[in-house]
Amino acid sequence: MKTSDLPRHQIIESLKAPHTENVADAAINLWEQMATQIISIVGIGGFNSLYARSVFLAQSTFPWLAAALQSPQPDQRLAELKTCLEGQTPAHASAANILLLITFTDILAALIGEQLTVSMLRSAWGNDAKYSTSKESKHD
Amino acid sequence: MTKKVIIRSLPSGVPGLDNLLGGGLPEFSFNLIAGTPGSGKTTLAHQIMFSLAKPDYRALFFTVLGEPALKMLRYQQQFAFFDHDKINESIRFVNLATELLEGDFDRVLARIAAEVKAYAPSLVFVDSFRSVVQSVKREDQSVSDLQRFVQQLGQQMTSWQATTFLIGEYLAPEQESSPVFTVADGILWLSQNMHRNSMVRKMQVVKMRGQAQAPGLHTFRISDAGIQVFPRAIVQQSEAVTSATQQTAGTKRVPMGTPGLDEMLGGGLPVGYSLLLVGPSGSGKTILATDFLAEGARRGEPGVIAAFEKSPSQLLNNKLSELVKTGQVGVINTRALDLSIDETLHDLIEMITRMQAKRVVIDSLSGFELALAPEFSEDFRGSLYRMVAELTAMGMTILMTSELEDRYTDLRFSPFGSAFLADAIIVQRYVEIAGQFKRALSVVKVRGSEHSKDIRLFEITDKGIVIGETMSEYAGILSGRPTLGPD
Repeated sequence: MKTSDLPRHQIIESLKAPHTENVADAAINLWEQMATQIISIVGIGGFNSLYARSVFLAQSTFPWLAAALQSPQPDQRLAELKTCLEGQTPAHASAANILLLITFTDILAALIGEQLTVSMLRSAWGNDAKYSTSKESKHD
Repeated sequence: MTKKVIIRSLPSGVPGLDNLLGGGLPEFSFNLIAGTPGSGKTTLAHQIMFSLAKPDYRALFFTVLGEPALKMLRYQQQFAFFDHDKINESIRFVNLATELLEGDFDRVLARIAAEVKAYAPSLVFVDSFRSVVQSVKREDQSVSDLQRFVQQLGQQMTSWQATTFLIGEYLAPEQESSPVFTVADGILWLSQNMHRNSMVRKMQVVKMRGQAQAPGLHTFRISDAGIQVFPRAIVQQSEAVTSATQQTAGTKRVPMGTPGLDEMLGGGLPVGYSLLLVGPSGSGKTILATDFLAEGARRGEPGVIAAFEKSPSQLLNNKLSELVKTGQVGVINTRALDLSIDETLHDLIEMITRMQAKRVVIDSLSGFELALAPEFSEDFRGSLYRMVAELTAMGMTILMTSELEDRYTDLRFSPFGSAFLADAIIVQRYVEIAGQFKRALSVVKVRGSEHSKDIRLFEITDKGIVIGETMSEYAGILSGRPTLGPD
């Protein structure tokens, strides 16, 4: 594994939906939280170009991920993603979504640096601890 | 009783800028940072923001269309002042592209107002409002709408109890008649001037309400550390007066370190004088200057040399490099060929203060002129005047060398006509005597002091300069071919 020990990758892994039945809903929820945060900083155009690139890259592993429509509205893109995820088995959908999130944040981190990316993700998803896996759970 | 309002001055965090502004940024002022693309507007804004922002003094940075925010964050991170820890905690970036795409000014204004209300920042930046202007023109909205928008934004910004900055692209102060220019409390203008392939960055404080800003254009440089401004040296009235009185007092003298030369100067070089040493290539100017510094070092007076003739790594001579190694003489790193005089002066003053130096050598003016950006070469004399005035006002004794090829038909002391700047002048030249090239030197001028009028031969030996006999029996020395006078 290339960089899976990155804190950012761990955060994303830890966000995997615990219940298998609502993978798509949980995934879209994560995307919406993140999109709000990222769009507020880099704008819709910035978000869209990152997202389109991530889908393109993730398609090599999961060809069923829809080729992004040229919709300017992120919520339409996310609706499209939801439809795709719903068509798959929960395990498959979950793996695809994680790959997509990792790819997206990889590109973002390559552009603006790991530190800034993680701080943006934290403000989108709350603190690490809140979502940390049982390995280190203090709040349970 | 009415008390005057006291306006707090914020340190801008940009080296040199506070001097330009006349103290700092007035709190709650509404400022415009304008300039051509690539002139460093966003960098300046970021540097100010990162320097001032604290958890209890937060900053809000609105990006519009101008520079894609992703790119801005990517590139601004390269500067040393960019502090990740401040983001979100003390600094928030907000992108307004969504509102703007819909082409509705009121929505942009409303969004800005809402964000400001929610975050309660002490500093607000809007980058870049010119793009607001342009996107609107495309949308076929009338220009008056746009002007109304900018004006409203300006008015809103004034009422937020925040120090605010609008960052925008403009071409030249004269070409713009936008109402923001009237509304703004401060206008900072950044420009890049091209002159014969070299580019020089300049900054002008066009306006700064309630403060005495330093007028005119000042050079600045963008490095990894960010922006550094080199305020243009301006001769202060008071300085001129004190240096004049210093000169008339002129009792204290500085020994030159060359045996016999002090006597020729009438007892050494008066403290605070500038000495111009003129001579052709190889006549021993740098050696004489080295002796001057070495003598200072011997007497516990550190020196500083700005050496333009050679690169600092291949220092001029052993004696000098020894002085530099032992820390008795500081060397100004004369970098590229696009220096400004003010930058050199800034470096000199910094090193003089740090080393508590008493002696300064500029070797040579010819090399200095070459190292300057062509733009400054044209005003070399004027800038040199300001520089010498500034240094002598600090009590420095200055030795400047100047290369001047021997002309045997006329008598000149400097290729720049800068001789009048110098309080004292020593001329070296070659003469032909009995089929040999010999060196001769003479003290031409020591302001307000007696000095020798002799023309004396000198030799350069391993131990330095040895001044020889007076050439009193010769005539026609200045012609280069002296003859033994009639006896």
